[in-house]
Amino acid sequence: MSRLSRRSFLELLGASTAWAVTYSCAGPEPDAVPPVATAVTEEVGKAQLFYVDYTDWLLIHPDGSVTAHTGRTELGQGLATVLNKLISQGLQIPPEKVELVLGDTDLCPDDGPTTGSAATRIVGWGYWRACDRIRAHLVERAAVVLGVPAEQLEYRDGEVVGRDRSDLRLGIGELVDGKVHLPTADFVEAYVSSNPYTDRGAANVNAEAIVTGTLRYTGDLFPGEVAYASWLLPEYHTQLTRLQSADLDAVARQPGVRHVQRSWNTAIVVADSYTAVERGCAAAKARWKVPERARELDVEGEIRAGAELKRLVEEHGDPERALERSRVVLSETYVTQYASQAPIETETAVAEVVGDAVTVWASTQAPFQSRTRVAKQLRVPEATIHIISMPVGGGFGVKAGTKAPQVAAEIARAAGQRVKVVYSRDRQFNSEARYKEAVVADIRSGVTADGKLVARTLDLYQDEGNGSTDTYAIPDVRTRLFRTTMPARHGTMRGTSFVQTCFAVESHTDMLAEAVGLDPVAFRKKNLVFDAFAPLLDACAERIGYTSRVLPDGHGIGFAICDHGGRQLGAVAAEVAVDRATGVIRVVRLEGAFDIGLVISLNTLTANTKGAMIWGLGFALFEEVHLDGHRADVHSLSDYRIPRFSDVPPIEISFHDNLVAKPIPRGCGELPTVPTIGALANAVYAAVGLRFHTLPMTPERVVAALRELKKGES
Amino acid sequence: MTTSTFRLRVNGERVSVTVDRDEPLLWVLRDRLGLTGTKFGCGEGECGACSVLVNGELYRSCMVTIGEIGPDDEIQTVEGLGTPGSLSPLQRSFVEHTAFGCGFCTPGMIVTAEALLRGTPHPSRAEIVAAMDDNLCRCASYPAIVDAIASVADGGPDTED
Repeated sequence: MSRLSRRSFLELLGASTAWAVTYSCAGPEPDAVPPVATAVTEEVGKAQLFYVDYTDWLLIHPDGSVTAHTGRTELGQGLATVLNKLISQGLQIPPEKVELVLGDTDLCPDDGPTTGSAATRIVGWGYWRACDRIRAHLVERAAVVLGVPAEQLEYRDGEVVGRDRSDLRLGIGELVDGKVHLPTADFVEAYVSSNPYTDRGAANVNAEAIVTGTLRYTGDLFPGEVAYASWLLPEYHTQLTRLQSADLDAVARQPGVRHVQRSWNTAIVVADSYTAVERGCAAAKARWKVPERARELDVEGEIRAGAELKRLVEEHGDPERALERSRVVLSETYVTQYASQAPIETETAVAEVVGDAVTVWASTQAPFQSRTRVAKQLRVPEATIHIISMPVGGGFGVKAGTKAPQVAAEIARAAGQRVKVVYSRDRQFNSEARYKEAVVADIRSGVTADGKLVARTLDLYQDEGNGSTDTYAIPDVRTRLFRTTMPARHGTMRGTSFVQTCFAVESHTDMLAEAVGLDPVAFRKKNLVFDAFAPLLDACAERIGYTSRVLPDGHGIGFAICDHGGRQLGAVAAEVAVDRATGVIRVVRLEGAFDIGLVISLNTLTANTKGAMIWGLGFALFEEVHLDGHRADVHSLSDYRIPRFSDVPPIEISFHDNLVAKPIPRGCGELPTVPTIGALANAVYAAVGLRFHTLPMTPERVVAALRELKKGES
Repeated sequence: MTTSTFRLRVNGERVSVTVDRDEPLLWVLRDRLGLTGTKFGCGEGECGACSVLVNGELYRSCMVTIGEIGPDDEIQTVEGLGTPGSLSPLQRSFVEHTAFGCGFCTPGMIVTAEALLRGTPHPSRAEIVAAMDDNLCRCASYPAIVDAIASVADGGPDTED
């Protein structure tokens, strides 16, 4: 299979070696299509569906193989598997006939960063619909070639064959004519001719390479043939540090150090090995000037102090008046913690500068944004930069904003050699961290005596995300977003903003249910914005034995629901056992039910969904970056507890498709994390009566809160 | 610090490398021998991505220096357990169970599980969890990893689905 570059894309088509589809409603040439997707919306039933059209490339080669190009990247979420499956099924050809080119800025169109659980929904579904059109087009083309009416032909297993005549047969490779095919977009006619849900096969396309250690990640490139680079960095997460002194001569004397140079507000070091470059940086004994700051931070106070109204997210009716008239009014504040993405592969990049040409191999979720940043850093045109995305060893948001590519490129140019940058674990946790930010949520709701939600105000203090919540039908409602000066540098992390908002809303929901004397499940079902949530709640309740079991002392069951953007609905039920003496919360069981539309690769989805629920468990129970002035007290994986084997309870999941009439994939990458957190918080409340307004629910905090609770009771 | 030449046995082959005697085995495997299946995740023995077998025993290769390895010690990395097209039973089971997300920690998981099964061919699920508990997977593919190992330990394909 041959690859093609962006530059030569149209030329190559003219050379009739391949037949290509650019699936677009915007224009005839890939270059003419704006990088930002064109949005089209339509009403389907109760849901507002959001379709996004964009341009990707799919090439059919004369040997019958297919190459598909997208600027999105493989993060372990299974995008390569999903795309391979959609295209091979869509064109009814063996999976090994489909080659994917992902996240290469010279070989792929820019169709956005790989974030927000959107790649399957947008890119995957675009390809699937493109395949529909390709099949129809190939039948028409075969009719011309064979000189028979198209009605006498059909598309079957990668060939166009005669319906009644076995002598009529043309493979897709034989039909390539070198023309660009431009189907007009027709969003309503999307259909599914086979049902991928039933196909459980299709292992991850990288599976054999992964298990044999032969899949090449960025750090695995050029072993023994590339220098390692690093730069002096303070252990602070503020940008305001200034390098005061550094013994660069001592650095240069270290064995294996090839190059050391003062640069920007730091010094760059290039050495023969990872060990040598780290040792070299340490030898500098760098001293930094850091602004004064109290060691014990009042995170909530700092966030509130700098806040200003950024956006009125939604306002219906008059929530203030409705609150005054409500029978029950509850006002609460929830504050979440700083957390770290902590992928096992730290941020990594390899860069090479030859003449004007810059090549960067990178672990990035956003190759085109990386290209822009590298261009800015080097002050050169973007056209001179080629970003090659490698398989990402876990991103979870932090590799959407990775600086490794630009720093690697800068050092490669300064040192005049190809270099590899591999962040140390400490650097990943500290000086180059972009944490999940702490969020303050003020929530106030009014409920009628019989449990109908009638009014709500929600004020969110956060920098990332849009603050959307869309689970309950409330007539008078106002949601405001306040931007603020955050106490530490932050970035995106799995379930950005949904995690924090849902924890607040779903904890609050249980308190409202209690205030009006309703069961939490019954209260939710009374107030749903989508009926499709009800079967999800029912499935979780039934499987966890909510009404059919008497729980032992210290056990509790909690529920939470979430609507992640893109109409991904989820419900989770959690059972916990709280040890009152030690404060340890043991998760007994998790049940998840998700309405996410068409399932494309059940294996990948199952692994991802359970993993995402385990993420929720970690965030709820122990993940926290504690800020100590301008430092974080997290330097290694022994300081930051992420979920381990022994933390994982039995997890059962089910997938549903009730929300919209059409079987389309809606994505499920981040969704399962979100309601798991609220479900665990509510389970702890059900178990021992502790309502946590902050996270995580660590044993020390449980013990302290139980003591307070007892004091209040006596 | 001076470099020395070390003779090693890696995946059944004799090799020699000239490096500083304090160099961690991890980087010798990766950069001198091109065995990049053994991953750097933390360099502090906390994640297990760099797990290798030395004489059949489990080690964190980031915490072992080359100077500690003798010429007759047999080092096995993930590459020595099986190759594409010729997978070991554990590797095959990991594929069948999709026991990974991004796959970065997977070589360390497989090597650790290999060490477990060599010593305890039929571990219970609790024994699997205990043996694997120091290996971290941020994609949290833990349930599928336990299933994958249990399926090999039971000596047959996992039928529960």
